Amino acid sequence: MSLWTDVVARLRSLVQRDLEERELEEELSFHLELEAARHERAGLDPALARRRAEHVLGGRDQVMESVRDARGVRPLEDLVRDVRYGMRALGRSPGFAAIAVLVVGLGVGASTAIFSAVNALILEPLPFRDPGSLYMLWESNPEKGWERETAAPANYLDWRERVAGFEDIAAYTRFAADKVLTGDGDPRLLRGVDVTGNLFPLLGVRAALGRTFTEDETWNDAERVVLLGWSAWRDHFGADTALMGTTITLDGMPHRVVGVLGEGFSFPEERLDLWLSMRWTRADRSADWFRRAHWISPIARLRPGVSAAEADAQLQAVARQLQQEHPQLNHLMGAGMTPLQEFLLGDTRTPLLVLLAAVGILLLIACANVGNLLLVKASGRQHELAVRAALGAGRGRLVRQIMTESALLAAAGGIAGLALGWLGTRVLERMQPEGLLRVSEFHMDGRVLGFAMAVSIGAALLFGSLPAAFAGRAGASSTLRETGRTRAPGRRANRVASALVIAEIALAVLLVTGAGLLVRSLWRLQDVDPGFEPRSLLAVTLNLPPARYPAGEPVADFYTRLLERVRAVPGVVAASATSNLPLRERGFTSDFFIAGRTPGDYGSEVVRRRVAPSYFETMRVPLLRGRTFTAADRTGAEPVVIINQRLAREWFGDADPLGRRIITDREPDSTSVWRTIIGVVGDERQTALALAPQIEMFESFYQAGARRMTLVIRTAGEPALIVAGIRAAVAQMDADLPLIEAVEMRRVFADSLARQRFLTLLLLTFAGLAFALAVIGVYGVTAQATRNRVPEMGVRAALGADAGAILRLNLARGLALTGLGLIIGLGIAWPATRAMRALVFEVEPTDPRTFLAVTALLGIAGLAACWLPARRASRVDPAVVLRSE
Amino acid sequence: MTDSWGLLKGTLEMLVLKTLSLGPMHGWGIAQRIEQMSSDVFQVSQGSLYPALQRMKRKGWIRSEWRATENNRRARYYLLTPAGERQLGRERAGWERAAAGMKRVLNWAEG
Repeated sequence: MSLWTDVVARLRSLVQRDLEERELEEELSFHLELEAARHERAGLDPALARRRAEHVLGGRDQVMESVRDARGVRPLEDLVRDVRYGMRALGRSPGFAAIAVLVVGLGVGASTAIFSAVNALILEPLPFRDPGSLYMLWESNPEKGWERETAAPANYLDWRERVAGFEDIAAYTRFAADKVLTGDGDPRLLRGVDVTGNLFPLLGVRAALGRTFTEDETWNDAERVVLLGWSAWRDHFGADTALMGTTITLDGMPHRVVGVLGEGFSFPEERLDLWLSMRWTRADRSADWFRRAHWISPIARLRPGVSAAEADAQLQAVARQLQQEHPQLNHLMGAGMTPLQEFLLGDTRTPLLVLLAAVGILLLIACANVGNLLLVKASGRQHELAVRAALGAGRGRLVRQIMTESALLAAAGGIAGLALGWLGTRVLERMQPEGLLRVSEFHMDGRVLGFAMAVSIGAALLFGSLPAAFAGRAGASSTLRETGRTRAPGRRANRVASALVIAEIALAVLLVTGAGLLVRSLWRLQDVDPGFEPRSLLAVTLNLPPARYPAGEPVADFYTRLLERVRAVPGVVAASATSNLPLRERGFTSDFFIAGRTPGDYGSEVVRRRVAPSYFETMRVPLLRGRTFTAADRTGAEPVVIINQRLAREWFGDADPLGRRIITDREPDSTSVWRTIIGVVGDERQTALALAPQIEMFESFYQAGARRMTLVIRTAGEPALIVAGIRAAVAQMDADLPLIEAVEMRRVFADSLARQRFLTLLLLTFAGLAFALAVIGVYGVTAQATRNRVPEMGVRAALGADAGAILRLNLARGLALTGLGLIIGLGIAWPATRAMRALVFEVEPTDPRTFLAVTALLGIAGLAACWLPARRASRVDPAVVLRSE
Repeated sequence: MTDSWGLLKGTLEMLVLKTLSLGPMHGWGIAQRIEQMSSDVFQVSQGSLYPALQRMKRKGWIRSEWRATENNRRARYYLLTPAGERQLGRERAGWERAAAGMKRVLNWAEG
């Protein structure tokens, strides 16, 4: 016999149950008839024949029952019956069912949405060949405070030659790799990345069209070659296959297109358009700058059979060799490796895990809430259950009945949760600040669906088991006795419900405290002074292509004339330019040495920036000492610098820095350029609001020009209104020059808060839900408890207790629950919020004010939730109650 | 009326298969034929027959369809499937071996 026919037969029996029953009945009647006819033929009279036949049939119902058993679908039929019964039971209280499904749905939905982000970022392997053996290499330097910094190309090349444990090492850099595409219509800015030729074979990525780069192309600065991303090829070149081998114009230079990468490929960042070849020269290999500047990100693949620890030991050894071989350039320079996926995830990991913990807590609260609802329902049905138990329904049968109901709720809640979760991922995707979740599309794959299912099943077990256990223990005799008179549900049910509510409050305290800390932190951050006035300020970034603007005079000249035009645009109050926009990106950093200090007493990591005259005035950065730049500070004049307050304080103390001279080398030598300090200005936050200002020095734009500059424009009215005027001013000077970006500084300021705000909003939402559920829980349990005690209240009132005393009695109970929950919650939150240290800004994870506010908030809400039912109980009319007894 | 075949549990299915190998038949007919063929040694009660038919259907040995009888009545007929035919062969061989063995034992004991 085959399993298949068996299963099919069973299924058919299940599906066509009614039909089969009818047919069986017909078959048996037919049998009876023929049997009766046989007896008649044998000479019996019809009535007797009939009776004889019926006797032979041996009880029609019994036959039918044994045939049913033979169909082999008994357990399934029972299940179907349970499900039908459960649906009817839930259908009888649609309000309860809807609330339960919604609560479960919220819990499952929130968990699913966050899990899908965790799945995409942490669990989903990178789409490369054997992604587990890919490592990001980095440099560290205790003296410079570097941890996981980009590497110097010369060091990278030495690692590649000497570390045997790596099969190969490739490298990329996003530094200055964005390009302006011209030639067809408006100039467009494309996002690019420079890569070494071996990156694609190392990752195991092939071109969809054409080919990827060769090793030779990394070392060929004569020809420029480019690979296009799929969407760039489609959007900017009309998916033209004839493009392969032809040249396109990027930053004014011809680039030969060698291939197009596959759809969806974008590495190392999202939405890249171009992959360009590094174009190093053999002369670079031995040049000092190749080891002094640290700007590339190397990716290594482990050789098969070599462990990460072995490779790391080799890397360390090579790094030590390089320190000895280049004592100046590699002073204290260390190296290290991190699994690529972990590195790319970076500081997204902590917020993700905190959010995952938050939704987990929310889900627990939701389960406790539904469990409580079910318990209340179950205690209402206690009488029914007790009667059924007394009539012989097995304990298992009753438990199964209740669990079926829970499973139905969980299934409906799970489906609602999936829908809400899908919606949630869309919202997350839209709201996420750039660079936080770094995924352009979350998707619901098998793992996410499996997670949602597991969570739903877990929830059903969690909230179903309590009332089920309770039903199972519903001792028939005791319950019937207990409920016979007063119909007050057992004390046990109340105790369980109270415990659930305490747990709910404790968990809510945890979430609300976490959210509170983030809110405090966000307030702190919003109050941070960026060091300049961000309102009525527009920033416009330009990048002059080297083809048309050779270094030096032409660049300085262009910006000088452009600034003059910009100042003439109506609505412009002041205008200047800077090589790096504060709160966005700091300039590159250098070692430095101040004249008059002993050799060896050098500083490092001074941020360097180039600014045009009147930059500080335009930004409203205060000048603390000396003077700012003028047009006279140009090539040929005395080299000058302005330093920020922090540099002045740390390196000059109370002494006057004006007139002192400084170089950007560790030790002075014949090539050192001595610059005189002419002014001290206030500190600006260079990279982000949350990061303290670094020591910084400004050079005059005329003495150290840069092609890529950001115009800063102070306006009289709305900054957005003058963008068109600026665009026109630029076009008048160079029609092929696009505005790379035009952004209000107010927006840059807000962007710097975006991540914190996003996290705060998410956690606040979860905490709000948790809070609401917990308060509803308190209300529900108090209401139930007071309802149960209405007779007692009536008696008390009849005996002369005043309404106030009764109110206090009921209130005390609810407050005890709330208080206990608060104490337990605070006890957990105190150590648990430490996990959030990395997420909060200038707020202690055990911030007393936050803890106090949370206590007050939940305490008051708990009081209100108890007060309403308690008040109702105090107004009980004793006459009515006593009569109803 | 007692189930005289009950002593020979497990043989009912074989008897049904044998009966159906002669041609499709409805439940009552199967019982009649078994009684006739066994000269009333086996009497089949409906309480055993119909569950057995249900089990055999599930095992795929027989199938059923509704047909008209000679008197133009609607009745459920049972038919032997190829799997049922093979099963009959197996059961017959097993039974014959067992019967032969049993016979030898009994003869020896008597002798």
